[in-house]
Amino acid sequence: MDVGLLGQYVMNGLMLGMMYALVAVGFTLFFGVMDIINFAHGDVLTVGAFAALATILGLAGIGVDSPWIQLAGATLVAVTTMAALGAVIARTLVLPLKGAPPLNTLLITLMLGTALHEGVRLFYPQGANPQRFPSLLPTDAYSFGHFTLRIDSLLVLTTGLLLIVGIHLLINRTKLGLAIRAVAQDEDTAKTMGINYTLIVLATFAIGSGLAAFAGVLHGLYYSEVNFAMGLLLGVIGFSAAIVGGLGNIYGAILGGFLFSALQTIGVLAMPFASAYKDVFAFAVVILIMAWRPTGLISEKISQRV
Amino acid sequence: MFFKAIKHAGFALAAVLALGLGLNPAPADAKTKVKVGFIGPLTGGTSSNGLGGRNSADLAVKLRNADKKAKYEYEMVVQDDECKPNIGVQAATKFGASKDIIAAATHYCSAVAISTVDVYHKFGLPVIVWGAVLPEITYGNDYKEIHRVNGTMINQNETAATFMRGLGYNTWAIIHDTTDYGKGHDKYFTQYVEKAGGKILGRFGVTSDQQDFSAELTKIKSLNPQVLYFGGLTPIGVRIRAQMDKLGVNALFQGTSGIVSDTFIQGSGPLAEGVLAFREGAPTEKLPGGKFFLEQYGKHKYAEPPEAYGAFAFAAMTLILDTIEKVGPDRKKVRDTLNKVAGKNAADSITGKISFDDHGQNTIALITKYVAQDGKWVIWEDSEYASGKRKLKGK
Amino acid sequence: MTAPQDPRSLAWTIGAAIVVVLYVILLLGVESQLEIAGLLAAGIAAVAVAARFGVVARLGRFLGERDGLLNALVVAGTLAVTAFFHGDAFVLLLVATVIIYFIACLGLNLQFGYSGVLNFAGAAFFGIGCYTAAVMTVHTAVPHLLILFAGGAMAAAIGSILILPVLRTYSHYSAVITIAFGLLFKIFLEVNDALGGPQGLRVKGMNVLGWKFNSNIDIGGIEVSFYVNYIVLGLVLLALAFTFVRRVERSWIGLNLDAVRLDETAAACFGLNITRWKITAFTLGNFLIGLAGALFAMMLGFIAPTNFTFGDSLILVSIVLLGGIGNPWGLVVATAILIVVPEKLQAIQEYRFLLFAAMVILILLFRPEGLLPRSLRTYFPGWRAK
Repeated sequence: MDVGLLGQYVMNGLMLGMMYALVAVGFTLFFGVMDIINFAHGDVLTVGAFAALATILGLAGIGVDSPWIQLAGATLVAVTTMAALGAVIARTLVLPLKGAPPLNTLLITLMLGTALHEGVRLFYPQGANPQRFPSLLPTDAYSFGHFTLRIDSLLVLTTGLLLIVGIHLLINRTKLGLAIRAVAQDEDTAKTMGINYTLIVLATFAIGSGLAAFAGVLHGLYYSEVNFAMGLLLGVIGFSAAIVGGLGNIYGAILGGFLFSALQTIGVLAMPFASAYKDVFAFAVVILIMAWRPTGLISEKISQRV
Repeated sequence: MFFKAIKHAGFALAAVLALGLGLNPAPADAKTKVKVGFIGPLTGGTSSNGLGGRNSADLAVKLRNADKKAKYEYEMVVQDDECKPNIGVQAATKFGASKDIIAAATHYCSAVAISTVDVYHKFGLPVIVWGAVLPEITYGNDYKEIHRVNGTMINQNETAATFMRGLGYNTWAIIHDTTDYGKGHDKYFTQYVEKAGGKILGRFGVTSDQQDFSAELTKIKSLNPQVLYFGGLTPIGVRIRAQMDKLGVNALFQGTSGIVSDTFIQGSGPLAEGVLAFREGAPTEKLPGGKFFLEQYGKHKYAEPPEAYGAFAFAAMTLILDTIEKVGPDRKKVRDTLNKVAGKNAADSITGKISFDDHGQNTIALITKYVAQDGKWVIWEDSEYASGKRKLKGK
Repeated sequence: MTAPQDPRSLAWTIGAAIVVVLYVILLLGVESQLEIAGLLAAGIAAVAVAARFGVVARLGRFLGERDGLLNALVVAGTLAVTAFFHGDAFVLLLVATVIIYFIACLGLNLQFGYSGVLNFAGAAFFGIGCYTAAVMTVHTAVPHLLILFAGGAMAAAIGSILILPVLRTYSHYSAVITIAFGLLFKIFLEVNDALGGPQGLRVKGMNVLGWKFNSNIDIGGIEVSFYVNYIVLGLVLLALAFTFVRRVERSWIGLNLDAVRLDETAAACFGLNITRWKITAFTLGNFLIGLAGALFAMMLGFIAPTNFTFGDSLILVSIVLLGGIGNPWGLVVATAILIVVPEKLQAIQEYRFLLFAAMVILILLFRPEGLLPRSLRTYFPGWRAK
């Protein structure tokens, strides 16, 4: 295989991996502070993408034509509304069920996810149909043999990677990050140290959901299309990535995200006769990894009370 | 405690009344009511075709009900098949099992239509297919219940192959969805294009709700074909067209009747320019009754356009109503009468004469070639591409 | 049953059963949306009023001690409804669907109602049963009754591949394994050409010793819809499955399963073999789900991958949860609500997933034990938890 083609595969893989990682980081943050899985996460991404689309159309409607302003406005609206939605989810559905069996929290978020994407399907105009997401970024392309580099893809990828670095800095270098890590490590001790537990949980959900919205916008820009069901598979893949990496560990999530996309790409390369099986292959490997290391590659430290 | 219970019941009753008012019970009428059915994709990526078909069939029923000479008052029951085989089978079963539905105009998606033929046969419900193009729907069985007013994909692909070879294209890569619809297109196009001396460099089956095509397209890029033939429906057609551009696949995009819809053009935006597609039958405005149909359609102010197959849906429903008028609301009689629509008994319709062969298939000889130009599907002969003003990709 | 006989309660109970059957017939029979909505509201109101006056609780207690009577009433009631609608195929299809889903949910109940093994791939195991039936009816000459059991066995066998990862992980982690499997299964079906791909497969109707299930029956000039065949067979299988599940629940096996669910560590300390009981519950559950799937496929005559999405798995889980985890009787009510109501009330058909989701969220927030919570074990007839 020539270098250009290989480059194209690597680029495809990086792009997917970046999106999976962004979603996985959200899962892992929630799990860290609350020990819960928020299955509505993928659908928050969908709602975020639709919020962005609606903003772009709205801005275009009132005569704002600059693609950069449209994009900035859309991203701002999507991220803030989804952050708020995340906090509301935490407040009304997750915190009240804190003492309940994990199955209940799992189910309530699964059902919330269903409600969210059904809401988009039923109440967004023509929501059942795939919607075209305008290309707001410059589309100049450079070809190197079989490798085509588009400026918009490059921008999407760079932004995504910067965002991942940013979240890493937020968690490790700021006071808020310190508080989040403290709550994740030991809730009771953190409380005795004067950390407002509820506030930190809400903040974590807001950050995670905002990230999902951002990933939704990037997804829309990359595929030029959004649809009500897009969050389901992305959510499950992001979740699998977080689990494979080891829940609660932010590096694990990033690793898991890129690993999953690598598996899909390898699936395509290794089985050219059956490229359609790439997702089957990727999920099968996830199940195998779970059987081999039940708490993920970078394991969570567990202490089970007897 | 008792009062509280009464209060609860009161609320419930109020809720019922509120709901009831919204549901609008039908007014009493002197004429006997007869129910007919319509099935098509009303949600999902192909819904614009389904909604156009539904409106057109609805128009046929409305025009008939407005006619004072009609013997019956018709009610059209509508089901959504979502373009998914299993949902279509459920809808067909519902129609088949409800004895008061006499006949139905059914299905735009071939994958759905081919799955439901057994059901119609089992329940003895006569149907006329209004949009699905897979040959096996009529030719794959001997069921007396199945008829079709539109043509099949065989002629479509024959014309497509000779036309494209005539333009001077030599190499193709094929992406098709893995339903019977996509596989059928793959089979017939390959057959005719190879006969005409063209070469297929590679073929790729994809599922009908796939999101990412970078793997397939990257491989196609290394094969470097002149034309990418797509045998599938609008939703993934839009995605593939967009991702071709992202990955720099520089081939001409050639589709089938499955992408002849306004949704494809809207979904692809400027990327739709210069895309080719083929459809059986004349364009609506050039049909014998096309002007009348479009006029009436406009008068009734439907929210969605009739789309490419609206005229067929109108013709199918009109034929059903004519038959019921003639022999009464009886499934068996309607079925047998429909089967006699041939030769001398051929029926007039806005799409021209309808004449069913042994398998209930109407003969449609004409194939229309379309090219997307300035955000519209334009008939090839009228386009600036044919006049040489613009050039197709790779020319 | 040695419970003290109480003829008056018995008469009341049978009276109540007749009222319920009449109500169901009325609900299934009417067509007008207004009347259906009215009937549903009236039904809810009636149950609410009855609950206020303690009628429901008394009935529940009376029947709780007389399983045999309750079973007989349900079977008789279903047969009465079937006989009434003997020619109305659509209603009978609904009844048969409820019965089949009930069998599948019994399997799911065995898994996480009793032993606490999560399974979010219910629709996938149902699908394995369906596809087994499709392949075997078309390509082999195996007697069709055996195919039903083959469907169950296949689901159990494929399920056993998941046993190792499910056992090694716990709670969230094992949930993800079943979710991943569910998705994998659907994607596999879609890309796999041999099993029909996204197009789906046709399934032949049931045929037992020349008795074709898929043709209408003619009894003395009255045409009876072929769905009656499936209802009768479904009821027989249901009776077997139900008796089996109840026996398991009441036996020492059920006690062990409960112990495993409630506290794994403690159960292990008392010498229970956790692995063994989890495998037992998971396998038996999948068997029942697969069995139901095989019957469903033969009745429907056509199956496709989109029948078995993650959303469908969630509906199965919702039924178990709504009914009251671990209570097989609650499942009847929940299955009927989730399957019949959206079919009859067309106005909400479009919104059904949204409504189900909202309903489950509310139940989890305000009544996490379900509509009909599982009652405490009664070790002696007549004994009541105070």
